[in-house]
Amino acid sequence: MPTEALKSLVLLVADDELIIGHRDSEWTGHAPIIEEDIAFSSIAQDELGHSLAWYTIYEQLGGGTPDEVAFSRSPQAFTCCHLVEHPKDDWAYTIVRQYLYDTAEKVRLEAFQQSSSAPLRELSSKILPEEQYHLLHSRSWVERLGDATPESHRRMQLALDEAFPAALGMFESFDGEQQLTADGVFPGHQVLLGQWLGEVVSVCTRSGLKLPVRQNGDVRGQTSADTTAKRTVKRSWVADCVPEYGGRRGKHTEYLMELLDAMQMVYRLDPNARW
Amino acid sequence: MSDTQWDVYEVFHQSTRGEPHVHVGSVHASDGQMALLMAREQFARRLTCASLWVVRADHVIATDYQDESFFAQNTDKTYREPRGFVGPLKGKANAD
Repeated sequence: MPTEALKSLVLLVADDELIIGHRDSEWTGHAPIIEEDIAFSSIAQDELGHSLAWYTIYEQLGGGTPDEVAFSRSPQAFTCCHLVEHPKDDWAYTIVRQYLYDTAEKVRLEAFQQSSSAPLRELSSKILPEEQYHLLHSRSWVERLGDATPESHRRMQLALDEAFPAALGMFESFDGEQQLTADGVFPGHQVLLGQWLGEVVSVCTRSGLKLPVRQNGDVRGQTSADTTAKRTVKRSWVADCVPEYGGRRGKHTEYLMELLDAMQMVYRLDPNARW
Repeated sequence: MSDTQWDVYEVFHQSTRGEPHVHVGSVHASDGQMALLMAREQFARRLTCASLWVVRADHVIATDYQDESFFAQNTDKTYREPRGFVGPLKGKANAD
């Protein structure tokens, strides 16, 4: 198994988790209600814990220690997607971003459970139950705010329009991805994207929100053999907008620079300090 | 301005199956399902938990603190408190 490609995959997952965890932690003390303040702080801790677990696998594959990797790399060495870098903005953006991210994570972890790589299988099985709760949390908010009042709908739609192209960037391909797919490590980002779109389109539509997507011309299940049998046709969707790519290749938004400046400041004062 | 707070839900926590659900506090939420989500964060994150109940606070029918006579126990009712028979051994020990 090509270790470098596997390392890249593990690192991008870890980086996504670290950065979204940091963004979530920014709600501590600021969430709209005290219950959510606690919920978001707790989710932030979960995400940081998951990033540590992924960085630990990265280290076992021959990478640096989790502290070095998280706190001493330059922004160009990070491979997180742009979606997690964006400032937390208002509650609508935070919820929409978190929902799009949580769904992608669920899809990703479910795929990892079938992986030919044992560490991926084991860790994803540990993390998935926590992520399913995260998803239940963010999806519950989307379903309620999507069409609660004209104002909540306006804000949620605005947030979705803003977040969607960056969310597509979660599925940007990376070097060595094809090899990993061939080796059965994971099905590849295009497959995950299809699964993600299926879930996201259905939840957003029933929540009164619109997405820039169109139905795939090649609808699976509609073969000539079963024209009479009314088989449930699994709709497949394609995104109809320009994805915001770059993150997986080390090209980031200015927001990541600011975030890392803040996050790495203390570590950089004395990298050898014992805590 | 009218009160924009959500409903209050009382939260009951059960540590293991078969144990009673114990009242642990309350949360604000827009509906019952959200109340369960919030209750999970506030009360089931550190405690082990088998089950949670949430009940809208205004659905709880309660006594009035002012109405002390409701609980009055003013006459001798020790006859209602059976303590079992005192056996010879126990009786002896008690006499010492």
